Amino acid sequence: MAAKPAVVVVGADKGGVGKTTVSRTLLDYFSANNVQTRAFDTESPRGTLKRFHPDITEIVDMTTTSDQMKIFDTLNAVSPSVTVIDVRAGLLSPALASLRDIGFLDAARSGQITFAVFHILGPSIASLDEIAETANFMSGAKYFLVKNFINDTQFFQWDQATYNSYFHRIKDATDLTIPKLNEMAYEQVEVASVPFLKFVANKGPHEEAANYSFVLRGYVRHWLANVWSEFDRIKLTDIVGAGKPVVRNTEK
Amino acid sequence: MPATPVYIICSPRPQVGKTLIARLLSEFLLLKNGRVASFDINLKEPSLLEYLPDITETADVIDTYGKMQLMDRLIVDDGLSKVIDLGFHAFDEFFKMSEEIGFLKEAARRNVAPVILFVADVDRNSSRSHEMLKQQIPAGHLIVVDNEHVVRGELPPALSRGRLLRVTALPTFLKTYIDRLTFSFTGYLRQEKDSSTELHQWIRRNYFMFRELELNLILQRS
Repeated sequence: MAAKPAVVVVGADKGGVGKTTVSRTLLDYFSANNVQTRAFDTESPRGTLKRFHPDITEIVDMTTTSDQMKIFDTLNAVSPSVTVIDVRAGLLSPALASLRDIGFLDAARSGQITFAVFHILGPSIASLDEIAETANFMSGAKYFLVKNFINDTQFFQWDQATYNSYFHRIKDATDLTIPKLNEMAYEQVEVASVPFLKFVANKGPHEEAANYSFVLRGYVRHWLANVWSEFDRIKLTDIVGAGKPVVRNTEK
Repeated sequence: MPATPVYIICSPRPQVGKTLIARLLSEFLLLKNGRVASFDINLKEPSLLEYLPDITETADVIDTYGKMQLMDRLIVDDGLSKVIDLGFHAFDEFFKMSEEIGFLKEAARRNVAPVILFVADVDRNSSRSHEMLKQQIPAGHLIVVDNEHVVRGELPPALSRGRLLRVTALPTFLKTYIDRLTFSFTGYLRQEKDSSTELHQWIRRNYFMFRELELNLILQRS
């Protein structure tokens, strides 16, 4: 159990780079490691994350004060130790600015709260500019730059030096790679509207037995294990104060 | 309840006798059990399908849909023996996919018993591929087929250490005879009254070998 609350923000200023996919893998990871988690989906009013994790996800509008209160004023009051916030496209920088304004970033800097940001990178130069912009808020936070290959994006092929110059501007930033998942497997999980873990376990939304393809489940299991090994590499459970990762079913 | 066997006949090399072994095994299982499902995964030139069209269907592992069509059937414990004639083009992709989706582990969970019959050749590619399979497949499930017609008594030592099935060579005229599309091994046993003929004995020897293989499979799991 975490000694202090942990907030994990997943975001990007660009749409379609896989923020919600990464959020879903995080929720599955915490669930597999017995870390109590709640999630906020800022894709108000629809909410893709809520579709996959309805029991622990609430849809909020992060631009409103009342919803900001709902998230941050309850960090100490509620039992889940980790809060994952899936920030809608274009809202990452404004959201971080809001966090600064309400004193949240100061609290993170002083160690009262654990704060981690998963910044999902797109393939374009705009994403690199985002890094520079976001970096201004990152003092006191664990900052992860996520290269998401799930949609077969080719990263920074044009100029590695450009990427490095941006990357090295941010002290203590760590990069993470989300590998590609077989397209058909990804689509099937979408259609099933269940967490990746349930898909692997061949279960429907209400724990009922399902009949997903063994091949597709195999691809998802293999992919999820690779994603989680990245989370293990950055010692994510330690970061959120939950200790060492447990031996998980998907890796047995 | 005995496990459902899935025989995968494979080699990274062409022309080593995969389809011959698949034909023999399919006909043996059909004779013994009354039913068998065979799959022809030869991307370029289907051949088992031409020999045994009534019990064979084509499959591929080129795209995900093809893989689902094949593997989702192989993983079912329905008591129906399955024979896969895996063409050399599909060798790498099949075992890569199989490793990735955890086929062997899931098979063990579901009472399905894959048996990999690796048809040996004397070249380096064969040895390398066999080594790769050894890393992936438990020893009891990986069997080297020493086809005398191909190996000519020079099976590389690395391939002869584990379990072996030996298929003796037939004289050329008999080889040509059994290669005819209309030829049936079981049909020959039934029609040929003289059981002392070379071909009669050859077929019986191979059927006996497959029976031993099945018995070993049952013993292994008991």
